[in-house]
Formats: sequence, structure tokens, C-alpha cells
Amino acid sequence: MMTVTTEKTDVEVPRHVPQVAALWRRIATRPEAGALGGAILVYVFFFVTAPPFRHFAAFTTVLYQAATIGIPAVAVALLMIGGEFDLSAGVAVTMSSLASSIFATKLGVGLVGGAILSLLLSLAIGALNGWLLIRTKLHSFLVTLATFLMLQGLNIAITKLVTGNVATSDISAMPGFNQLQTIFASNIVIGGAQISIAIVYWLVFMALATWVLLRTKVGNWIFAVGGQGDSARAVGVPVVQVKIGLFMLVGFSCWFLGQHLLYAYNTVQSGAGIGNELLYIAASVVGGCLLTGGYGSAVGSALGAFIFGMTTEGVIYADWDPDWFQFFVGAMLLLATVVNTWIRLRATKGK
Amino acid sequence: MNVTKFSKIAIACASASVGAILAMSGHAVAASKPLTFAMITHAQPGDTFWDIIRKGANAAAAKDNVKLIYLADPTADKEAQLIDNVVQQHVDGIALTLAFPQAMEKNVKEAEAAGIPIVGFNAGGDDWKKAGLLMYVGQDETIAGKAVGDKLNAEGAKSVLCVDQQQGAVQLEERCNGIKATFKGKYQILYTTGYDMPTVKSRVQAKLQQDPSIDYVVTLGAPFAPSVLGAISAAGGKAKLGTFDLTPEAVNLIKAGKLQWAIDQQPYVEGYEAVDLLWLNKTNGDVVGGGGPLLTGPAFVTKANVAEVAKFAKAGTR
Amino acid sequence: MAGSGAPIIQLRGIGKSYANISALRGVDLSVRQGEVTCILGDNGAGKSTLISIIAGLHPHDSGDYLVDGQPRKFSSPREALNLGIAAVYQTLALVPLLPVWRNFFLGSEIELGRGPLRRLDRAKMQDVTRNELHRMGIDLANLEQPVGTLSGGQRQVVAIARAVHFGARVLILDEPTAALGVAQSGLVLRYISQAARSQGIGVIFITHNPHHAFLVGDHFIVLARGEVGLDMPRADLTLDNLMFHMAGGKGLSALEHEIQGERTASAQAAPKAVGPT
Repeated sequence: MMTVTTEKTDVEVPRHVPQVAALWRRIATRPEAGALGGAILVYVFFFVTAPPFRHFAAFTTVLYQAATIGIPAVAVALLMIGGEFDLSAGVAVTMSSLASSIFATKLGVGLVGGAILSLLLSLAIGALNGWLLIRTKLHSFLVTLATFLMLQGLNIAITKLVTGNVATSDISAMPGFNQLQTIFASNIVIGGAQISIAIVYWLVFMALATWVLLRTKVGNWIFAVGGQGDSARAVGVPVVQVKIGLFMLVGFSCWFLGQHLLYAYNTVQSGAGIGNELLYIAASVVGGCLLTGGYGSAVGSALGAFIFGMTTEGVIYADWDPDWFQFFVGAMLLLATVVNTWIRLRATKGK
Repeated sequence: MNVTKFSKIAIACASASVGAILAMSGHAVAASKPLTFAMITHAQPGDTFWDIIRKGANAAAAKDNVKLIYLADPTADKEAQLIDNVVQQHVDGIALTLAFPQAMEKNVKEAEAAGIPIVGFNAGGDDWKKAGLLMYVGQDETIAGKAVGDKLNAEGAKSVLCVDQQQGAVQLEERCNGIKATFKGKYQILYTTGYDMPTVKSRVQAKLQQDPSIDYVVTLGAPFAPSVLGAISAAGGKAKLGTFDLTPEAVNLIKAGKLQWAIDQQPYVEGYEAVDLLWLNKTNGDVVGGGGPLLTGPAFVTKANVAEVAKFAKAGTR
Repeated sequence: MAGSGAPIIQLRGIGKSYANISALRGVDLSVRQGEVTCILGDNGAGKSTLISIIAGLHPHDSGDYLVDGQPRKFSSPREALNLGIAAVYQTLALVPLLPVWRNFFLGSEIELGRGPLRRLDRAKMQDVTRNELHRMGIDLANLEQPVGTLSGGQRQVVAIARAVHFGARVLILDEPTAALGVAQSGLVLRYISQAARSQGIGVIFITHNPHHAFLVGDHFIVLARGEVGLDMPRADLTLDNLMFHMAGGKGLSALEHEIQGERTASAQAAPKAVGPT
């Protein structure tokens, strides 16, 4: 019966013994491999050129700057793997701080109540982004650009309407402030260096996101939804729920960072946060996420944020001419990204 | 007695007639058509300082019965573009911040050619005359900077770090240059990007770690003072802090002794006077200042006089 | 080897129209266990309409659709899938960037643990994938490699193997060899044959390549303008005969004459005309 000509003439093909590939091989083929290379390069560069950069205290300063980008970037990376963008994330952070402060001071629900209501609002905005995306079938770039602009306006308008000013009032005298500050914005002192708890949360979120992506059903779905949504739908993956869920996750991460900022700095300017959404996206992309979706990693987004943190702080530690600051940051990021791409290309070629 | 009586009557008559004239002219203006003024600034949206300016401007507009259009954009070409925008709307006067004199030059000339009086405020103290503006109200930023330099010398500072939140903005550069001109110790500048507080904090922290000799930090905007205080403590330094401008938080920090001083340019007055000067010019042909700027600052707010300022700061007008 | 027992799927006089245009009229068809039924026809002959009815994408308008003797009218592919009727489309099958084993179990993942610690049973899923693929003659060194890096034929086989593994009794294959070269087509055809014979699955093989159809088919149906033009078991048919019907019956011999005429006229030795490929 087997008259069919095939490339293999015998059905009994020899069987490969499933083997564990060498560790470096496995690392080199991960999406974040390039970012790891870029991060090491930037680190070594500043370690050599900037003596103050070598101290542990400098390292924690860099980590703090990285964490404030990295916390939303972890969620944004997951969203991008799921094939969508969120341009509203930058102002959503400010919105959650403002909301928390305004709810607490004006609704009389206390700081804890304010934080909880603000969380609900952040999740609702995430869900709204997702719902609009599904209903309008527009690209998420457009939908979230619209919500970005609306939130930017609302942040300022509502703050002014409610408080009469464009910044929130200082909440540090309210009952419960110290407890919430301990949760969201405390510092741990190790070896004379202040380590913000935001760094710890950042690393925990990154680990959780990595576990979900690589080890759970939902993670599988996120990759599939971003890689080829129609195929995923055809095998029963709930595409709509996954996408809305991802937007809500971004909402959660914005809320978390928003609470950190509120409790670390006591008051919030309603115009803050604009432009940061691009940093979150950039961190994810530098970390290996494809702009087209279906590929990327949470660890990569953390490395991307770390590269950005090292670059901006490194220029200061190296005491380069401040007039050239943005230029140096841009040039270092370009260098890191080129190394990143080069490593990734080599890894995928040499399979 | 008679003379005094007569003079009293004369004064009464005179003041009555002047009042009547003023009332009539005021009435005439109100009856014909309320004037429309435009206020154009380089404010970042949602900034406390600019909000105080706007409150002052609104108060003057309400008192003078003029319609006020408020427009703002922190970038040079966009702010310049806004001038064209209001010229096309045929406004009766423009109050603007000359933050980017070169970029705005052409647009300012066009507005003047259209016969629209322009009053400068807040930014452009060195350039307003060259650009042909009628009047200027604000703090001379260079003078303010020099005052800070003197203050730092008096306090015995050896090495100062100036934190600039908007690289390229001329009035901030003037402040820095003023400090540099009079301060005798080591001077350095650090740029940050707007209101991203973690960035402000970590960059200042990095700078203090890089150069532990810095013993005084000056922020060019009051909203950044609390974040910089965090950076100073995180860097384990003993550097002192002073700031340009004032916010309610800065007032509290001065009270608590954490912030040494704030240099106040009275933004409320700037906004108020800019609109009021336009109105005076439009309704009475007045030009104030005698060819020089109308100065609203600098005035130092320190622990000694903070209590007085505090009650107004709370209302959001100082 | 040939189909045995009662048909799993039976279509009787099935018809379908879209806004007064009749796409399908009076189609009869049976699919038995272990039998490959080939559906051939030119573009627009009604092949896609027929498979979308069988796969549950669109309900039929007239006639009866019996599954295991029970009349059915599906409103979603999920309903058809629950009865073991699975369609594998050429393009919609897999997620290219996703590793092979993740694709294989996408939407039907095996999990371990409970509550928040519920996680993928990677070892088991990789084992099953490796075994299923090996049974079909594909042996991959690395199941972590993205499906997009496989050859076209291998990809089709992964998609088919997945449908079989998840309980398909009837497999609808929509032009699985259309975009493939000779060797790759061979791989897929061998697998189709194997799926039917050794695993007892009823296969509906849609193609417009009579060569491919004749290699694996047990029963042939040629559709023309929405109607059944030919309905014959393999025993009663030759490849030439099939090609003749496939090309529209008499139309082909007329065409052949015409081309032959032209070629002799231009005094050139002409190879024998071949049907569409």
C-alpha cells in the first residue's frame, strides 16, 4: 500500500534520543539573550570608565531607576507578546496616584480605601482598553493613543476640578500613611546603601510573569494569541479574554507603580507620566519582544529597563558633559540594541 | 475753613468726575464688546507653578471684564505656532512668555504687524525689548540667579549642584548663569526630564554619589524639592537644599527646616499684571515700567518669614 | 483496508444557497472508518462550501447530515469537533513562533498541581508530542523549535497529528498539499494514508490534484458547479478516468484535440497533455 514516494523511505525512522541542550545553547536561543549581552556590555563599559559606578550604592541607584520603568514594562512585555500595545500606560501610572490621593482626601474613604478604589479604576481602564480594542477592531496603537490623550486630559482637569490645584495635596499626615508607605515605598538599608522595596517588587513581578509565560496554560495562550490569533481561536483559546486580561494586567502594574510614587513622594503633579509609556515599550523591545507579537520575555523587559537605568545613571557617574546627556543616553541605547540584535541573529542562525 | 471746604468740594467734584469718566469709559468698553486677550506660555500641562500664574491671569481678566484664551506648549515651535493661532483669531492683546526668543521671533513680529499689543512675562527678561514687546513683567532671572549665588556665598557653600528640569529653556539657563556669575565655589548642572520623580531622585542621587563634595543643591522648580531631599538622604549626604519658586509642600519643608529657602517670583502677580497691563494699554494707552521690566521678584522665603506666605500658599495663590 | 461498517458521516441530498445563488445541490456522501474520501473539483465547484458544512462553519439548507445515523445541524465548529469531526486548514493550523509541543497542545494543555500552582506538565506533553510525531514518521531533535522553522509538509503533519490525537474520527483536510513540493507532498500523503489505515480514521481529502488523490483515495467524488459529477470507488476507476472527469468531462477531450491540432500544425513533437496540477 505504501506506494507513496517520500523523502524517507522507511516508516521506522531512527529515533532521536531527547537530550538536554547545553546550558549556553539554551540561554543563547532565549529571546532575552541579546539584552543580556547588551546589559553586560553597558555594565562593563561604565564599570571601567566611571569609578563611582563600581560601588554597591551606585548599583542600587541604577536598580531603582530601572525598577520604576521595569514594573510596568513587565506587564507591557506580556501585552506585547499577546500582540498589543498600550500607549496609555505612562499617564495611567499618574492617574492611579492621583485617584488614590483624591479618593482618600475627598471621599473620606481613608488611604486604604483610596488605594483599593484606585486599583479598581486602574483595572477598569485596562478592561476598557481591551473592550474597545475588541469592539472597534482597531489597532491597539490607535485605541490606546486615544485613551492616553483622554487620560492625560482627565488627570489635569479632574485634579483641578476637585482640588482647585494641578497637584494633589500632601497626604503624609493622614492616618495609615506610614503603614502604606511601608508596603509601597519603604527602603531597606544594606551595606550603607538604600534599597527601595520597588526593586524587590520588580524582581518578584518579573519572576511571576516568567513563570506564568513559560509554565502555565495562560502563558501558552498569550504567546499563541499574539503569534496567530486566528489559529489560537480555532483550537479553542479564549482570545478575547486573554487580551482583556493582559490590558488589565498592565492596569495593575500601573496602579502598583502609581502607589509607589504617591507614597514615596507624598504628592503628585497631574501632568506627570507623559512619555514613559514609550520607555516601557522600549524596555520590552530591547529585551527581545517583537513589535508584531508572539515572541518575547519578561526577563528581557527587566534587562531592557536595567540597560536604560544603567545608561542614564552611568552618564552621570562618568561625569560627562551634562549638555550632551540625552545624546549619550541615546548612543548607549543604540549600542546596546545593536549588540542585542547581533547576538540574537547569531543565536538563531547557528541552530 | 472756607478754603479747606472749597478744596474739599473741589476734590470731591474732581474725583466724582474722574470716577464718572472712568465709569463711563469702563462702561463703554463693556458695552461695545468685551476685549479678548490671549495668554501663551511654555508651561508643561499639570504644573503647579503655571497654575498659579493662570489663577492670577483669570483674576485680572474677571476684574477687567476681558475674555482670556489660555494656550500652552512646552516646545519652541509649538509655542511659536500658538501666536499665529491667536493672531488669526484677531485677539485684542497677547501676554506671552518669551521662552524661546529665536524660535518665536518671526511670529511675534507678525503679531505686532497685525497691530496687536504684546506684553511679555515670566520668561525672556533679556530679550523682550529686542523682540519689540511693549512691557515685561516678571523676575529678572539673571538677577534672581545672582541673588542665589550671593546667598550661597553667604551660607558658606563650596560646591553647588543646579538641577534643571527642562534642558534648553532660556529662563532656566538664565537662573543658572546668574548663580554661576556670583557663586565663588564649584558649580555643576544636572538635567532631568520634567515630572518623572524617580528619574529626578535617582539622577540627583547618582550625581551626589559621583561627586561627594557637593554641599548645596538648588532646584529650578519647587515641585522637585521633595524628591531631591529623598535623593540627598539616600546618598547619605549632608548637602543642603534651596529652590526657585514655591509650592505648598515647599512651604512645609521650609517650616520643617529641611529646605533652606525658596526664591519667590510671585507667579500670581506675573499672570495678574500681564493681563492687567494689556488692559491698561488697550483702554488707556498706558505703558508701565519706564523702559525696564516690572519686577515681581526675587524675594527669599525662609524659615523667618514663611508663616506669612504659608496662608496664601495654602489657597494656591503663592 | 477498505472502509468497513456503517458510515460515520452520511450526507443525503445536501444543498446550500447564499442569497439566491445555489452553491451546492443534492450532494450525497459517506465517510467510513479507515477510508479516504477524496473530493475533487475546480475552483468554485463547491468544495469549500461542502467542507464548511461538514466542519460546522455553516449549516446546510436542505437535505440530511447524519453523524452515526443521527441527523445533525451544526452551528459552530466546536459542535462538530465534539463529535470527532475536525478540519485542518492549510493556513489556520498552527502558530508559527510557538514551539512544536506547545502548538500540539494549544487549547488542550495538560496540567499538573492545583490552585495557583497549576502548571503545564511539560514532560508529559513533550513525550506525547514526540511519540505522536514519530508514529507519523517525523522525528524532531528539538521540540522547542518554533513550528515556523519546520518544513511545510512537517507542519501539515503536526496539525493532522494533533487533530488525530485529540480524538478526531473524521478528518477534513483542506488542500493539504496545495503549497508543497513533491517530497513534502509525499510526506503528507503518506501520513494521510497511514492515519486512515492504521488508526481507522475517516478522511475527507480535498484537493484539485488527481495524482495526489489517486495515490491515497478509496472513494472519489468530483464536484462541478455545485453538483456531484462523479461518485465512484477506487475499484471502478483509473487515474486517466479520474483526470478526465476532473477536467470537466468532455471539455478536456475537446481541449486535447484542439491543442494537439495546434501542435501538429506547428510541426512540433508534443508531449501528451496533462491535467491540471
